[in-house]
Amino acid sequence: MSNTAKPLAGAGKKVRLRGHLTQYLSFSAIVLLLLGLSLTQQNFLGKMNMSNLFRDTAPLMIMAAGMTSVLLLGSIDLSTGAMCSVSNVLFVRFLSEVGVNMPIGLATLSAFALSLGFGVVAGFLMGYVHVKLKVPSFIASLGFMSVWQSAALLISERSSPVPKAVWGAIDWYKVSFGVVGLPLIIALVLVVLVFVFQARTTIGKNIYAIGGNERAARIAGVPVDSTKITVFVLNGFCAALGGIFLAAKLRSGAPTIGDAFTLMVIASCVLGGTALSGGRGSVLGTIIGVFTVALINNGMNFIGVSAYWQNVVFGLFVLGAIAISVDRSVRDLAIK
Amino acid sequence: MTTERKPFFSARDITKSFSGTQALKGVDLEVYPGEIVGLVGENGAGKSTLLKIIIGAQPPTSGQMTLHGQSYQPQTPMDANANGIGMVFQEQSLIVNLNVAQNIFFGHEKEFREHGFINWGKMNKAAAEVLAHIDVTDINPRKKVADLNFATRQMIEIAKVMNVTNAQQGKNCLILLDEPTSILNEGEVQNLFKQMRRIAAQGHAVVFVSHRLDEVLEITDRIYVYKDGTSVGTLNTAEATEAKLYEMMVGRPTTTEYYHLNQQTKPEEQVELEVRDLGLHGVFKHVNFKLHKGEVLGMCGVIGSGKEEICAVLSGDELPTSGQVFLRGREVRFNSPKEALEQGVLMIPKERLYEGVVMMLSVEDNIAMSNNKQIAKGMLCSPKAVARQADHWIDRLRIKTSGRKELLMQLSGGNQQKVVFSRALASNVDVLILNHPTRGVDVGAKEEIYLLIREMVSQGKSVLLLGDTLDECIGLSNRILVMKDGEMTGEFDASVEAKPSQVDVVSLMM
Repeated sequence: MSNTAKPLAGAGKKVRLRGHLTQYLSFSAIVLLLLGLSLTQQNFLGKMNMSNLFRDTAPLMIMAAGMTSVLLLGSIDLSTGAMCSVSNVLFVRFLSEVGVNMPIGLATLSAFALSLGFGVVAGFLMGYVHVKLKVPSFIASLGFMSVWQSAALLISERSSPVPKAVWGAIDWYKVSFGVVGLPLIIALVLVVLVFVFQARTTIGKNIYAIGGNERAARIAGVPVDSTKITVFVLNGFCAALGGIFLAAKLRSGAPTIGDAFTLMVIASCVLGGTALSGGRGSVLGTIIGVFTVALINNGMNFIGVSAYWQNVVFGLFVLGAIAISVDRSVRDLAIK
Repeated sequence: MTTERKPFFSARDITKSFSGTQALKGVDLEVYPGEIVGLVGENGAGKSTLLKIIIGAQPPTSGQMTLHGQSYQPQTPMDANANGIGMVFQEQSLIVNLNVAQNIFFGHEKEFREHGFINWGKMNKAAAEVLAHIDVTDINPRKKVADLNFATRQMIEIAKVMNVTNAQQGKNCLILLDEPTSILNEGEVQNLFKQMRRIAAQGHAVVFVSHRLDEVLEITDRIYVYKDGTSVGTLNTAEATEAKLYEMMVGRPTTTEYYHLNQQTKPEEQVELEVRDLGLHGVFKHVNFKLHKGEVLGMCGVIGSGKEEICAVLSGDELPTSGQVFLRGREVRFNSPKEALEQGVLMIPKERLYEGVVMMLSVEDNIAMSNNKQIAKGMLCSPKAVARQADHWIDRLRIKTSGRKELLMQLSGGNQQKVVFSRALASNVDVLILNHPTRGVDVGAKEEIYLLIREMVSQGKSVLLLGDTLDECIGLSNRILVMKDGEMTGEFDASVEAKPSQVDVVSLMM
């Protein structure tokens, strides 16, 4: 066998190096942020802030867990934040209008089922339009983003609190073991489940094959369409669960709550080493990415950066991080 | 026509390699003023590659070109144009969302600039003149190319290239035509020939590549024959015949051991796959054949004959527009390759890099791609089964790799192809479609793949084979089907005692 693959072998090393670079980048960002913030801000490492940090990471982590699989396909879903908003206001409006007249257990179950059911349906619609109608996921999800953003406003025009009578449905959010809250534990369990899904199931293997070379996967008989739809359904489910977590965290529903999350979710995945071009990465890396993003936000709050400037700083940071870590050796960067 | 003594263009010992495979191993071409030169050879003989080097679309790996006695090293097609060399590409190179005039003067818009704006009226008029120059008067220069049919587009391409000669003011020009007639009808072909003769009469020269030997014999003055990236000879057209050209193109048949003919078996009676009146609109029609159990059925034809698309239909990649497919006597319709796989049909695709392998996945994952469901335990896949299967095939096909976890991109082309074969064999299908199974694979791996095909067939699998070369197709097959312009033109028995000659097969292909 001749040495025909030599140039490609070189490319392989480059890819690996980039992979390492991405991981180190996230790690070093976390270390630098922790060092900088704890040295300059007295109470940063205090119990109060740490438990805040750990608790508030949960919704982001859940949503990023779903998005990781979408990015692994080489696709993207920009409607994540909007789906989260719809689920959020659905959950709160149901509890305050219907749930108050029900036994609390039934009300909780029904509200969860309603919101998660929405997520599954929305994810399926997204997947169906992308796969069967052959609309690129970028455009399809941009369209659905607009639809769900408005839907959220139609369901609930403005923020509304969860009535005290049904706080039983959201009390679990405040349960905490030391600095680690129950929400984070649930999120981590979900991440582990997603990891098993990605690394150990046949569908997971198909995701990597499709992301790596969709055409080859198709010719090899991989069920491309059903795999993609499954992944989008899972992503919708995660987005909706994120919306429920946000409702429980803030004890209120807000129709625009998810908007800011779309960028944070995608940034978390990419900072965690998942390639936007598909085929490479893992939800385990996403955990690191999520903590990086959470630290930046938390740090800016702690220092007291104004909300408007926070978005500027965050956006620039994400652009910089992605520019450093993005894999330029891949010919076709376009998102399918 | 070749009365002038000195060639004005010459290419000597041109080689070109693409990441390890040599497309050109050293070809020569000389062109005298006022002549029409034909280039003939099988697919992959290197004709198109040479033209792309001359036009500056690709640099040669080594070799020299001279033009008007000076060294000629074009960096881009624009360079070549400036030197009086133009080309009509095999793939349409017009920009379909621009209009005719914009296409003809693409890259020369400056000539029509007035006060920073382009004078479209002037450009349209100039375009009409260029078209009239080649006797095309029925095309409106304002029409979008997307709205025109392919034959018309071809004439525009030619007009665009002819325009290069107009700009050269008396110098000899060279026009390269790569299969310009494949989509033209008889009348359009005659018009094209008329234009070619006119250009030649003006002292310019034309290089004409075509699969249709009758056309080459009709229009050219001299013919170069290429084979496997080398020049095998040149003939004055007056002395050439189709038979002579065929013989030069195909060369000596390879030795029988190479294809392990001693291991060729007789197919069984049982029909595995049957195709009745199959058609794909605009590509192929009325295709009928039976593939028996334990048979290698070779399919020959030039590019564009429809054989590739037949593979696409049978592997579930495309839906036919007419006809029926039967698998073991039962009618089937594959909506996707996945459905074909479930019924026991799988294709090893032609373009390994783009459709065959996932470079960033490991050897074991690539092998398990088609059958990971079968070897899984319920929803969860079994890493042990995946590993065991990978080790088995690495050992069995002697795949050179540091281990089953190695990324596929680290393997050589031949070993990558063995991984693709492993995947197909592991999936345990009955019908395998091998689309150029030895493409881009070195000689050693080729022989191993031939042996593997023999083994598969003796174990009762059926193979539809599109050989990488004609020789390979004849050598491996039990039976040969020949396709031309989307229809079957012949069938040959290819049992060990009765292998058809390449000349016989080629004469039905072209």
